[in-house]
Amino acid sequence: MSLQSRLDFLLRVQNADGGWGYFPGKQSWMEPTVYAMLALQGCTEGRSAVDRAWRLLLSWQTPDGSWRPGTAVQEGTWVTALGVLAACGRNSLDGVGTRGIGWLMDQSGQESRWTVRVMSYFHFLKTDVNVNHRGWPWRPGTSAWIEPTAITVLALKKSMEKRRDGSVASRVREGEELILSRRDHDGGWNSGNPSVLKYDLPSYPETTALALLGLQGRSRQELAAPMKTARQFYGDCKSSLAKAWLTIAFRCYGEAVVEAGEFKGNPDILLCAIQALGSASGNYRLLKTGAIA
Amino acid sequence: MSMRRREFIPLAGTAAVACYMGFRGKSEEKIPDGPAGRSAVSIYKCKSYSDDLADKILAGIQSCGLAVKGKRVLLKPNLVEFDSATVVNTDAAVIAAALEVFRKLGAAEVRIGEGPGHRRDTYDLAEDASYRKTIPRFDDLFVDLNRDDVSAVRGFAGEAEMYFPHTALGADLIVSLAKMKTHHWAGATLSMKNLFGLVPGAVYGWPKNKLHYIGIPESVVALNRQFRNTFAVVDGVVGMEGNGPIQGTPKQSGVLVMGRDLVAVDATCCRIMGINPEKIEYLKMAADIGHLHSSRIDQRGELVRAVRTDFQLIDDFRDLRLEVVEA
Repeated sequence: MSLQSRLDFLLRVQNADGGWGYFPGKQSWMEPTVYAMLALQGCTEGRSAVDRAWRLLLSWQTPDGSWRPGTAVQEGTWVTALGVLAACGRNSLDGVGTRGIGWLMDQSGQESRWTVRVMSYFHFLKTDVNVNHRGWPWRPGTSAWIEPTAITVLALKKSMEKRRDGSVASRVREGEELILSRRDHDGGWNSGNPSVLKYDLPSYPETTALALLGLQGRSRQELAAPMKTARQFYGDCKSSLAKAWLTIAFRCYGEAVVEAGEFKGNPDILLCAIQALGSASGNYRLLKTGAIA
Repeated sequence: MSMRRREFIPLAGTAAVACYMGFRGKSEEKIPDGPAGRSAVSIYKCKSYSDDLADKILAGIQSCGLAVKGKRVLLKPNLVEFDSATVVNTDAAVIAAALEVFRKLGAAEVRIGEGPGHRRDTYDLAEDASYRKTIPRFDDLFVDLNRDDVSAVRGFAGEAEMYFPHTALGADLIVSLAKMKTHHWAGATLSMKNLFGLVPGAVYGWPKNKLHYIGIPESVVALNRQFRNTFAVVDGVVGMEGNGPIQGTPKQSGVLVMGRDLVAVDATCCRIMGINPEKIEYLKMAADIGHLHSSRIDQRGELVRAVRTDFQLIDDFRDLRLEVVEA
């Protein structure tokens, strides 16, 4: 029931342009649109809604292959990874998806530029993080962060389920290494780095869940501590969105998790879509992936 | 291999040394006198959040000569973290009191909006900070500025385009309901830096790393140039000292600080905190849009020296300490 009520809500609040806003009646954005599409995929009554959303997504892809984050924004950003995920879900990797992957392959955090690496190597630059791994930024020309890196790694892994590519596999490995290298002292992940100046930063439940999704296929031993931290978060975190992401992560790892409660009409569309994806009979499997060969 | 200093700052925690150097300020620089005229800043003592905050906010608004009638007002609290046990967020009682006062003064509309820098789940953050419980019909008034509709503006900090939420662009008056806190990059975070929450995460990410690349002081100043119709109410009833703005410790300072000139308000807050505002980079850079010098600030209510409560500073910021007690 909780899944169906969420899917019904998503169908009710789809915008006329085919997309979803973060809240009903607001501008369409890539992020809620992709997650709503994934949540509705395979559901008979959602077929035409998903097709309309896909057409909108196609109109948002820029000539360089990137995706714009929403109706009003012109430049491509990290949401390109979501475009690739949606393309994988629709078996549309050729053309649209491939151009998105090409754009993602050209992006990396500014901290991994060779100038920074050289300066770090010779100790001209004191760094709190390992700058040798290339991750992904929120926007071109800025630093790599855990969330966009994890989502991109996940999207690229999904793409390799359809089509193996050595250079993509290599970037995926780097992305995984970046995520692993930035783990916090408490076992989970903060948004960017484990410390600022000499102070440790606490990890966040949502970032920890996304990092775990990006690291699917790594050894259980490597992920034992993060899984333990995630389990603690699941017990006591106050963020519904974080709990929804943790639920998806646990399901993808085959771990037992409690079904989300009944939908209570919260107008947060992104949250609703993520909760629907994480339902026991939801489409979390679209975010499940394995190790890269 | 050229690299500007500010390019180092946001490298996800790299370049700690560069960050440190970036915010020391060049204390020998001559700071401009600022715009013509003088600025009024009101300081009112509040022992606790049970005091009559609305009375004090009303007095502060009136003593600073702010016109409210008929305006669309956006209250912008500092809502940062799930941490109800400490003082990271603007207290709910201050927001509730401001809402009551701006309505009483005849505002056409009063909304509450915030776009937290790190956490996505703004409504649950608000729940944890007791905003939903304390502020009547909070959900109807609140806008998550990270995920609002947006439009582009031109000329922000030299960028071709910068996107801002419609709720902020459409407001006649933005009230920065900031928390009085130390900040491990900027020295202090007060009413000016609180405008970071007007930048939409849906476009710029969590955190809004673009601002780090523009430069934190540069971004603070650019936001305050972009949004000129502002008023500040700084919640210093209980502030945060030490490793702010998130991991610091509570500091009872017992004041509300208010004014139309956010530079003057923040400079005054710094003096109350025992921080030399002339060593805070963004305040120096904003000295053409507001008054930094105490000689150009008309203090209303309490005097700074009557309420000064030195905030503990992390080692890297020890030299920000204000040695001379100013009026």
